[in-house]
Amino acid sequence: MNCVRKLLLARELSAGRGILRQAAPGRDLPWLQGSSCAQRFWPVSVRSIRSSAALSRSELIPSARGDKEKDRGSRDGSLVPFDELFERAHEGDRTKAAFSRAVELFCQRDIRRRGHVEFIKAALRKMPEFGVERELDVYNKILDVFPKEVFVPRNFIQRMFNHYPRQQECGIHVLEQMENYGIMPDKQTKFLLLQIFGKKSHPVRKYQRLMYWFPRFKHVNPYPIPAALPRDPVDLARISLQRIAADLSAKITVYQMSLTDVSDAGKEITQPHIVGIQSPDQQELLAHHNPARPVFVEGPFPLWLKKTCVYYYVLRGEPLPPEEKEETIDSERNFFYPLHLDLDLDRGPWDDEEFYVDEVEEGPIFAMCMAGAGDQATLAKWILGLQQTNPILSQTPVVFHLKPGPQELQAASDSESGEEEIPQSWHAKQEL
Amino acid sequence: MLTSKSHIFFLNLLFILNYLFPYPEISNEELEEINQFVGPVEKFFSEEVDSKRIDQDAKIPPETLKGLKSLGLFGMQIPEEYGGLGLSNTMYARLGEIISLDGSVAVTLAAHQAIGLKGILIAGTDEQKAKYLPKLASGEHIAAFCLTEPGSGSDAASIQSRATMSEDGKSFLLNGSKVWISNGGLADIFTVFARTEAVDNDGTKKDKISAFIVERAFGGVTNGKPEDKLGIRGSNTCEVHFENTKVPVENVIGEVGGGFKVAMNILNSGRFSMGSASAGMIKKLIEMTAEYACTRKQFNKKLSDFGLIQEKFTLMAVKAYVMESMAYLTAGMMDRPGVPDCSVEAAMVKVFSSEGAWICVSEALQVLGGLGYMKDYPYERYLRDSRILLIFEGTNEILRMYIALTGMQYAGKILTGKIKYVLKGNVGVALEIFVNQFRDSMGRKVDLGLVGKDGVVHPSLEESGKKLEENIYYFGAAVEGLLRRFGKTIVDEQLVLKRVADVSINLYAMTAAISRASRSISIGLRNHDHEVLLTNIFCTEAYFKNNYVMAEIEKYAAENLDDSIKKVAQQVLEKRAYICSHPLERTF
Repeated sequence: MNCVRKLLLARELSAGRGILRQAAPGRDLPWLQGSSCAQRFWPVSVRSIRSSAALSRSELIPSARGDKEKDRGSRDGSLVPFDELFERAHEGDRTKAAFSRAVELFCQRDIRRRGHVEFIKAALRKMPEFGVERELDVYNKILDVFPKEVFVPRNFIQRMFNHYPRQQECGIHVLEQMENYGIMPDKQTKFLLLQIFGKKSHPVRKYQRLMYWFPRFKHVNPYPIPAALPRDPVDLARISLQRIAADLSAKITVYQMSLTDVSDAGKEITQPHIVGIQSPDQQELLAHHNPARPVFVEGPFPLWLKKTCVYYYVLRGEPLPPEEKEETIDSERNFFYPLHLDLDLDRGPWDDEEFYVDEVEEGPIFAMCMAGAGDQATLAKWILGLQQTNPILSQTPVVFHLKPGPQELQAASDSESGEEEIPQSWHAKQEL
Repeated sequence: MLTSKSHIFFLNLLFILNYLFPYPEISNEELEEINQFVGPVEKFFSEEVDSKRIDQDAKIPPETLKGLKSLGLFGMQIPEEYGGLGLSNTMYARLGEIISLDGSVAVTLAAHQAIGLKGILIAGTDEQKAKYLPKLASGEHIAAFCLTEPGSGSDAASIQSRATMSEDGKSFLLNGSKVWISNGGLADIFTVFARTEAVDNDGTKKDKISAFIVERAFGGVTNGKPEDKLGIRGSNTCEVHFENTKVPVENVIGEVGGGFKVAMNILNSGRFSMGSASAGMIKKLIEMTAEYACTRKQFNKKLSDFGLIQEKFTLMAVKAYVMESMAYLTAGMMDRPGVPDCSVEAAMVKVFSSEGAWICVSEALQVLGGLGYMKDYPYERYLRDSRILLIFEGTNEILRMYIALTGMQYAGKILTGKIKYVLKGNVGVALEIFVNQFRDSMGRKVDLGLVGKDGVVHPSLEESGKKLEENIYYFGAAVEGLLRRFGKTIVDEQLVLKRVADVSINLYAMTAAISRASRSISIGLRNHDHEVLLTNIFCTEAYFKNNYVMAEIEKYAAENLDDSIKKVAQQVLEKRAYICSHPLERTF
């Protein structure tokens, strides 16, 4: 633990600061590099005044020094402490069990848990590698490394002066990492923090703040993404298309499943998956579409779901110019009450809330799809599939406005021999 | 002081504000436990319970009953040592939400446990419990509650069945017939209420009601054929006749002559679950109806785009929300240790939920139009099943009187001294009252500690909280005025009492909704902004309704039509017919 080391250094304080630096060459003593060294010495001197009588025995000093030598020796003065502890523990398999074993190893090694602050910081750094950054019991285990009840202030002076600041900072780091990964602490965490740091310490205050804000932010996203997204591209496409469409009556059709086949000639033919979505409203709009005007296939547009990016394509039409918009007022449309009053009065200016400055008039969107490959052939297959439910597509010209998708851009940057398909896929008109 | 006592009428509610705010919660472990129950029960009800067939055949198939028994639903509130599930009131209400998907099954289960065996649970001796509860929990024996007779429905104290003590003093001979007994044909254990001769404290012999546990095996128990009902047709309702049935003395529940109290406790403890059951049914209806409204198109517009249809959905959502809030608030209060009797609150929940359910089912059927009227769709079955909610477990009229009179009793005790002063002509008090009324008419600002800096209500609900406070204050003043006018003869003024009860129910509903919404915002539940909307809608509507009703209570109010109503009723009932001349009549 730090107190013996502090005592040691306090003794050397009296001999001057130069010796201090000498006493701890290979180790990073973070508390020394703090903002004002003078302030740091105060709690050190307080403790040394209090406990100097007990520890003035000479045996302790050589043994402490001996311990340091041993520790230093085993660590070869590496600047990143405790790394090899984790390296040793995982034995090629980075799992939660290995991580827990490393933590336990440290705890068993020394009853006084010397160097626990560095160990905890190293452990927090290593968590993503072992894949345990979202496990609450691992965090509780790490908090368990702190020695209990030592850092709880015992009198008003200790309470005033930021008792054991490095340890409190370390505790705050643990909670901060929990906060960054969005993990809500539980009762065990609270109990540990209270036991270790006492009631009014910084880590406990941070815990209280976490417990105040986290519940309020848990459901703040009105369109939450499930924590574990499916790996299968068809399922992923299903979820993301439903998310874009946001219409419960929209129907998803899988036009084609991805498969790689070896044909008789020995050539490999790969088929990308095509998943499309269309709602009954969109079907109706398409049915009313004038076949003389073309419809456009545009894409790919990116959709980010946490860390995955998927691309979708859209089938849309142009907005009709105001002259061509039909407004037939059929007075016999409704049997029971008139749908249209034959008055010369318009909506009053104080009641007209329909004006939205940034609402741009957009053309109708008829369907959307996600495909494994973004080339015209695949999307043509999609249009063919759509024709089953929307026969009007067979008479409508379909224009493909395809931007180069991510795979094509990748391929272009990889191979220097200019890929010709990019300019060709641009503005290619095709009569289907 | 008059101001502080003006709002005491609001019974258990205001001065135990800490029971209402914050909204009662259950711990995480309990929540997990109840969610584990919810899953299999929901699955069972959606797959294995064929409500249409049950309705058509007027019978619950034995496989369904067996499934229910295996799920443990026959002993939900029986403690675990007797083989039941030992659920608390809150968990029972939660399961009631799912069970209410089928009305007949819900009524069968309720008749078995909420009233049938409740007597043994709350007032039985340990031997009685050990003897009967295990078999009842497993469902081997089914229980029924026998109180109603042909001559006494709501008037339960006028029952004629007699239980005479035998010569050796070891048993009673029970004679009588009971009518409309749910589970009458299936039950093996009956909780029967009959008149016994009891010796009063001063030695006079009086006929008092006692409660007995009667087994069918005692002999002399016969039941008639199942009644053909409008709704809940799957529930077995029939007459039960007792002819010289020998009931051992050990089977008396409570003490001889103490049946009235037992009956009151039994009936008062089961009422609150109707709130969550109705809420569960309405939630299901909203799902089904919304599916229809969002797909059907008329006049090139989806039904869901029409304002009148949207209003119906809002009504259903608001009613379901308030019912849930009230039911779980009452259940939470009852679960807390050391809480006084919550029977008035439970009665308020029952009245509000039954009427709300009837209106909402009717509106849902209306959304579907002609399809809702067809037997192919479940709406007409839900409508028929929900009609009984206004009748059984205490008719709504009786419960309104109960709510109003219990409140009056309580308020009267506290205000009697003050009122007597006034009537004696004490000038100081009369002046005080005059000044207060004057200030009221000038628009007094009311502060009961609900809203504001240290208030328990979240600032988003400040308006609703203020409306509630205002209503409570003026209600207190109105009640005091009524007591001054009528005194104890208010018992006969049913039209006035009905208004008092309506306001009380609305106030309790507003409190429950505000409490629940405050909690939702504070802990950040999903869609809490929607809850705030629902609460504000309900509170605004209830506020205006309450103000109108309280205006009617005033003696010479223009809105008060009580005298006219009584006159018309008297004329119609005198001739027992409609007495107006036909519009086509001529005199010359």
